[in-house]
Amino acid sequence: MEKRYFLKNAPQYKLAEIISVVSHQLKTPLSSIKGYLEVLLSEDLGQLNKQQKEYLKDVLENTRQMIDLVRDLLDVTIIEVNRIEFKKSPTDLAKIIKKSMKEFSLLARAKNCDLSFETLNEFPLLNIDSIKIKQVIDNLIDNAISYNKRKGEVKVSLFKKGKKVVFCCKDTGIGISEGEKDKIFTKFYRSEEAIALATRGSGLGLFISKAIIEKSGGKIWFKSKKGKGSVFCFSLPIKS
Amino acid sequence: MKKTKILIIEDDKFLIKLYSDKLRREGFEVVEAISSEEGLNKVLMEKPDLVLLDLVLPRKSGFEILSEIKLNPKTKNIPVVILTNLGQESDIKRGLDLGAAAYLVKTDFSINQLPELIKEHLVGRKRKRK
Repeated sequence: MEKRYFLKNAPQYKLAEIISVVSHQLKTPLSSIKGYLEVLLSEDLGQLNKQQKEYLKDVLENTRQMIDLVRDLLDVTIIEVNRIEFKKSPTDLAKIIKKSMKEFSLLARAKNCDLSFETLNEFPLLNIDSIKIKQVIDNLIDNAISYNKRKGEVKVSLFKKGKKVVFCCKDTGIGISEGEKDKIFTKFYRSEEAIALATRGSGLGLFISKAIIEKSGGKIWFKSKKGKGSVFCFSLPIKS
Repeated sequence: MKKTKILIIEDDKFLIKLYSDKLRREGFEVVEAISSEEGLNKVLMEKPDLVLLDLVLPRKSGFEILSEIKLNPKTKNIPVVILTNLGQESDIKRGLDLGAAAYLVKTDFSINQLPELIKEHLVGRKRKRK
């Protein structure tokens, strides 16, 4: 009770520090659990049978989910107290997208999803925080695969529009109903279909993505039809 | 053939065991330090080929340890790889500015990549010496 009172009345910057410390304290045992699982799964210590491997993979998946949640909670707090830091440098956005595509190819294959990337233009380097923008790209591709149908499609594209570059991620997934469209960038919001289809997810990814894009001088938006799919796009200024 | 010696400065008993066991299995000689004082003593006494350094340590932070290693002419050429859960841009910048060879966030990398990563930094160091 006392703790709750303390947290409720703590100034915002104090709260951010508390959450930062708690996140760090949570990450230490989580990284340890993750490491031990990775060693066991690498079969360095001996061969595992099929079921042991399957169980350990499930535990690893859940551990990663907890790590993501802790990271997201810290990100949200930093955004809310306006302490988000950007380390901008000239970045090749297409290169970042290709890296994300490679990282998500396994998940796409597991979901029998056709993942493709198309770009026609040559792009100038953008002055952006590559780690944070990659976080947004990862989030959009991850959602597009996770909330897709089996044998669905995810088409990623990058093009130039005036003085902006536009990234789009189009899927053939569950889509978003009209009533939910204005809530989709809200903190902790997850649609009922999303919860039913994929247990993973904190409902923080799109909230964080919106904050990162807007603080980078860009815009994020989507179009969607329930049952047909969605397309999420963001634009970034070429000179920022 | 002399084994490559790695000093791990890490106060979490589970993580230090995990890293040590993994590196020993990969053929490295491992020296452990569970506090900042022990870490700084062992850098001087053991003359490791590379240091794996945690940042959040009691009494003296990993940043201070790194700074002392890099200021001492006897130890300044030892590559230091930071292995931490502090992932803020300002922490990464501070670590690299102080002279860390690499900055790794524990939750974002796989333990199975560690031996390769260490070898890369040791090769880089040998090239620099030539």
